[in-house]
Amino acid sequence: MNPGLYVHIPFCRSKCYYCDFNSYPLNSKYSIDEYINALYKEIDIHVNPNKSYSLKSIYFGGGTPTILTGLAISHLLLYIKKRFKIDENAEITIEANPGTIQREKMQIMYQSGYNRISLGGQTFNDSLLKNIGRIHSSAEISASFKLAREIGFNNINLDIIYALPGQSKDELKNDLFRTVELNPEHISLYGLTIAEGTRFYDDRKKGLLKLPTEEIEAEMFAWAISYLESKKYEHYEISNFAQRGKRSVHNQIYWDNLPYIGIGAGAFSYLNGYRYGNLKDPLAYIQSLNKGVLPIEQGERLSREKMMSESVILWLRTRDGVNFNKFMQRFKVDFHNIFGTQVEEMRENGLLEEDECCCHLSRKGVFLANRVFEEFIIL
Amino acid sequence: MNNNENIRNFSIIAHIDHGKSTIADRLLEYTGTISAREKKDQILDDMELEREKGITIKSKAVRLEYQAKNKQKYILNLIDTPGHVDFSYEVSRSLTACEGALLIVDGSQGVQAQTLANVYLAIRNKLRIIPVINKIDLITSNPEEVAKEILAISDLEIKKEEIILASAKENIGTMDILEAIVKKVPPPSGKIDSPLKALIFDSVYNSYKGTIVYVRIVEGSIHVNSSIITMSNQKEYEVNEVGIFHPKMKAMNKLSAGEVGYIIAGFKDVKDVSIGDTITNLKRPAQKSLPGYKKVTPLVFCSIYPVDNNEYGNLKMALEKLKLNDSSLFTEPESSQALGFGFRCGFLGLLHLEIIQERLEREYDINLIATTPSVMYRVTTIKGEILNISNPASFPTKMEISKIEEPFVNLTIITPSKYIGGIMELIQERRGQFKNMEYLDEKRAKLDYQIPLSEIILDFYDRLKSKSSGYASLDYEMCGYMISDLLKVEIMVNKNVVDALSFVIHSDKAYARSRKIVEKLKEVIPRQLYEVPIQATIESRIIARETIKALKKDVIAKCYGGDITRKRKLLEKQKAGKKRMKKLGKVEIPQEAFLGILKLE
Repeated sequence: MNPGLYVHIPFCRSKCYYCDFNSYPLNSKYSIDEYINALYKEIDIHVNPNKSYSLKSIYFGGGTPTILTGLAISHLLLYIKKRFKIDENAEITIEANPGTIQREKMQIMYQSGYNRISLGGQTFNDSLLKNIGRIHSSAEISASFKLAREIGFNNINLDIIYALPGQSKDELKNDLFRTVELNPEHISLYGLTIAEGTRFYDDRKKGLLKLPTEEIEAEMFAWAISYLESKKYEHYEISNFAQRGKRSVHNQIYWDNLPYIGIGAGAFSYLNGYRYGNLKDPLAYIQSLNKGVLPIEQGERLSREKMMSESVILWLRTRDGVNFNKFMQRFKVDFHNIFGTQVEEMRENGLLEEDECCCHLSRKGVFLANRVFEEFIIL
Repeated sequence: MNNNENIRNFSIIAHIDHGKSTIADRLLEYTGTISAREKKDQILDDMELEREKGITIKSKAVRLEYQAKNKQKYILNLIDTPGHVDFSYEVSRSLTACEGALLIVDGSQGVQAQTLANVYLAIRNKLRIIPVINKIDLITSNPEEVAKEILAISDLEIKKEEIILASAKENIGTMDILEAIVKKVPPPSGKIDSPLKALIFDSVYNSYKGTIVYVRIVEGSIHVNSSIITMSNQKEYEVNEVGIFHPKMKAMNKLSAGEVGYIIAGFKDVKDVSIGDTITNLKRPAQKSLPGYKKVTPLVFCSIYPVDNNEYGNLKMALEKLKLNDSSLFTEPESSQALGFGFRCGFLGLLHLEIIQERLEREYDINLIATTPSVMYRVTTIKGEILNISNPASFPTKMEISKIEEPFVNLTIITPSKYIGGIMELIQERRGQFKNMEYLDEKRAKLDYQIPLSEIILDFYDRLKSKSSGYASLDYEMCGYMISDLLKVEIMVNKNVVDALSFVIHSDKAYARSRKIVEKLKEVIPRQLYEVPIQATIESRIIARETIKALKKDVIAKCYGGDITRKRKLLEKQKAGKKRMKKLGKVEIPQEAFLGILKLE
């Protein structure tokens, strides 16, 4: 099975208030170069001498990968291409934050083989951008987008977050109008999640965050789905929309619960039924590789039950849902034998729909997906 | 060493945290009963919960051997007593097995209500009391003042010089205490050659040895292999083992008058052995049994249900096992429309209830729902029937009732005088009737009230502590039933009466309390897929209502590589949490909905 490759760049100019990713503002304890050296070392560990598989996709995420120099970005990819076998038409994505990419850097990226850009826009409202800790303006989102287009990228994703503190429904509508105007091939639309350890988490505790109510949030989401669908974006995963043929290859590996290799601090790999995560702290990650030690921090071997639960939950995130044949192929057992009662109950509640080949979330189920997922957890 | 003259039996009276267990430890060390190396802190509190809560729950006995200054060897039997108001019956049992008691008072805290109650109990039992002021090493300690308080205790005939100053922590005064026990506590009076009379003061169940009975031999002696009978029910047994606590069980050939120890005699069940009963010899029986004990009556009741109905069997078994060691726990099978099969249980007090509940959850791993504690109401119907009702769910309707009475207690509170105002306010809120106030010294006062038991079983103790910065202490005893204007309030969730949430309350308080309860339930019951009304009703009339809105959106926004494990674990945790909830109809109600009602203030 051909895996995807994920490369993590855990640095940002500054940390956004909602962000709970493994990212750090630059500091003096180590340099970016040391980190990049460690990445090369980890790539070497992963090299498959027989080249028995080839990579289906490569994804540079962060943090802000585009904080690296254009040269570093292109060298990394070239090195990966040298050491791994790669599908001819592999999707190669890099996340970019507006304000961190100049024309020259973008050109180098394009020329070295990146063929998809994921742009962190979040909102087109300048005061909201400021209030959530973004360092760029709405004008910079449009400018970066247009630049990418001009240079030749024909597969661009734009990240948008809704249910931001103080955001109204009209403000979200405006964000999506502006988004669609740019005509990105792919849109990731995330409801704001307040995670522990973030500035927003503390603010909320102190009563400083004025978040939209659950009702408003649901209305925002419902409107967004209808609007984007009317603009020919397929709602193919809970938070993702794509034009025809432009679904994210890399992310679909995750939602299909297929193997992937993660490289970099805090990156996760899933290989041979074993999921493990690297050391999160970049310095610890660097030191571990300098000593020639695998930088693994945590891992678990998944039991068959857990694999079944995960696969079903991940499939259900997508429009395609659970394909009964695929389930049979993967687990050698009939889906309904394992989850028949759960499906029945969820259908009665109107959260699941089923036909001969598949079952998937209903419209209502998309809003209450956690309730459905929970049913498919085997304790 | 069967000479009575050289035996001393004593117990320790002390308020929680006044240092009973540490003093006991020092005595054990000093007499070499245990070496410092063997000791864990607080040897006598060996139940995990006892150590955690810093309280003694079960009585224990231990034998010390002490060579006194007069060069004679003495056997000192220490019978440990619980210090919490809930367990005063255990205290009284221990005291009757002794001739003396150490009265330990914290030098910085002074005499507390509970201590006072136990001192009076000891005086009534004609025990010789040896006062000890502990923790004199503390800067806040004021032995002079505390001594005055001790001397002011009526009927306690002691001189100031007799008060021992000690610090268990610094090992000060340990020998003085031992010497005082030898000199002042009278030796037991029983004769070794009289017919056997052994007082059962406790029993425990051990899965290897069966039921072990703790006894004080009052007259005569008991030997291994002799035949004995328990006098109340005339059951015969063969003695398999007798022994002492040293501090572990140590088998002996016999126990004689004055001694304290244990008997194992094929008692099948703890129920066969009633505490306070007298054991005598089958062939040479005593004529009259010892006075024994007053029967213990539970004061606080609640229903206990397994969250998962399949665990009923386990719950039943666990309760039976707990009862083996706890004769004061009362249980009766019960069924509830809402909660299925469970037990109505009676306890000595709220602490006793909490301890049982925690032991069931921890030691037996059963998820429980316990309903709001209640007292035993006495309802007279219009037909003239008298019903004793401990479960609000089975309260008759207003039409059928001619009068309702509820239990009242005499409440004693000792507090620094500056907190009196706040405490009086609290008691007023709780329908307390002022009886008397008395100053113990310039700074401390004793308050006497009459108050409905139902008003003090929930959060009263915590509130009292917070009103007095932790300084006030309380004691209470039942004083009888009196007429009250009481109502039954029912709670409906999603239009269904949840019988387990029903409660009985004074009519003046019904509205405010119902309001708080529906608000609390709205907070703790998670949103469902549809709207859920919560209502409080009196005789079908709705007096409070809240609505839990339907769940609109609950979805994890992102799920990529590393998230998958994390999100799955999150869902697993949520699901496990729901398993701990009770499904009523289609609504999942968390345990805290049942418990939370206790903590409304």
